[in-house]
Amino acid sequence: MRKLGRAWPSLVTCLVIVAIWQVASDREVVNPALLPPPSRVFPLLWEMIASGAVLAPLAHTLGYLAAGYALGCAVGISLGVLMGVNHHVFNIFEPLVELIRPIPKPALIPPLFLFLGIGTTTKLTVIALATFFPVLLNTIQGVRGVEPVAVNTARTLGHSTIATIVKVVLPGALPLILVGMRVALGLALILVILAEMLVDAKGLGYQIIDLQRSFGITEMFAWIMILAVIGVLLNAAFEWFERLAVPWRAK
Amino acid sequence: MTGQLNPAEAPIIEVLNLSHAFTARGHTVPVFQDISMSIRRGEFLSVLGPSGCGKSTLLQIIAGLLPSMSGRVLFEGQQVTGPPPEMVYLFQQYNKSLLPWRSVLGNVSFAMEGKTWTRSQRAERGMEYLRIVGLDDFADHYPWQLSGGMQQRVAIARALAAEPKVLLMDEPFSAVDALTRLELQTLVLKIWAQSGLTVVLVTHDVDEAVFMADRVAMLSRRPAVMDRIVETGLPRPRDAVVTRETPRFLELRHQLLDTLLHRDPVGADA
Repeated sequence: MRKLGRAWPSLVTCLVIVAIWQVASDREVVNPALLPPPSRVFPLLWEMIASGAVLAPLAHTLGYLAAGYALGCAVGISLGVLMGVNHHVFNIFEPLVELIRPIPKPALIPPLFLFLGIGTTTKLTVIALATFFPVLLNTIQGVRGVEPVAVNTARTLGHSTIATIVKVVLPGALPLILVGMRVALGLALILVILAEMLVDAKGLGYQIIDLQRSFGITEMFAWIMILAVIGVLLNAAFEWFERLAVPWRAK
Repeated sequence: MTGQLNPAEAPIIEVLNLSHAFTARGHTVPVFQDISMSIRRGEFLSVLGPSGCGKSTLLQIIAGLLPSMSGRVLFEGQQVTGPPPEMVYLFQQYNKSLLPWRSVLGNVSFAMEGKTWTRSQRAERGMEYLRIVGLDDFADHYPWQLSGGMQQRVAIARALAAEPKVLLMDEPFSAVDALTRLELQTLVLKIWAQSGLTVVLVTHDVDEAVFMADRVAMLSRRPAVMDRIVETGLPRPRDAVVTRETPRFLELRHQLLDTLLHRDPVGADA
């Protein structure tokens, strides 16, 4: 009940926005052909959900998102730990990282077409790349911030370097690694939609661009609303996971 | 004379001509010079010195956590080049030394991992060590749910769980309140008496150094040299109140404080 109590102002905001949207469309403040009113978008949205039409594109998009994100996280965390622990590894990779990191990742899609073809390999690569950098940088920072007293405690208690990394450095860096993963999740979602618009014939991104081109405007907005809900749900799921993974941070 | 060894028993640790310096902005500042001492098997040795004399650095070199710049440390006749499994270092900062993502029992088990114990043996033995420090009721708690004194007791239980021959304690009680400090001192003395451990305690507290130890090794101000090693000769078991009222305790406290203060430029003009 208290949670509901805190949520009601946000709920009111949402209702007000939907009301303004409805009125603007009804009174033709905006062209209803370009912005159909919620009274048409929501029933269609419900129909799509009820008929199961959303499932296939959604599963397609989330599948690639998960695969690319997992790949980017795995490589980012592994290299980040190595770079954080060993300054030789850091010096070797740092120039490369600093060179590629500032490039907005969508700009890499055209050159990736050249090398990987217009297809799923490019899509996965670009999602993984977008995920990789924030995870890598936060992992390096997290590893360097691990309490030296804790590391020395592991040493004096006879733990090997590998055991110390696994049992002390990784969990110690986890809060920052998760910060990087959260930023990366938002970027990965952007990139998966963009990549689908450019290279795919399935998925949410493709649906949106295809419906815009074929003037299925109402349905296009329905898909955009689904995407918004996905974004909110992913973020909420991540927050839940974060609390589960680092309970000691709550204190 | 004090500091003499019984020739029949070899020292467990020999510190041979250790020197150390810090480098800051191209300048080399000597911290301590040519420190030598023999630590007897099973003794309780306090290393006393003013702040900045490099006591903790000295202890970390003995523990193999820091490389020595010059000089050597022998542990049971072997030169120390890394942390030997049978020497455990207890840090002053228990809150940084305990792993916050592990329960109290998990932290104690940490000292037994990588050895031959099974998971259930570790849990069982971990509980035994928690019982020794009086925290068996808190096994499932997390470090941040405990007071400072209790956290340091967890760290002590964990150090014991590694089954060391030597326990190196770096100002272990300086971050807890005065009453808790007295309780922890008594607890450590009890554990020492029952275990046959060799303990080296680094402290800047004259009272603590004398109360706990068989011998007190006193370092001078920086650049520190070994000033002297005195045998306390106080009877055991020691009592937090009574021992501190004995003439011998007061005499030692007086002597050592005098030396510390007279070499301190702040106290010298008094």
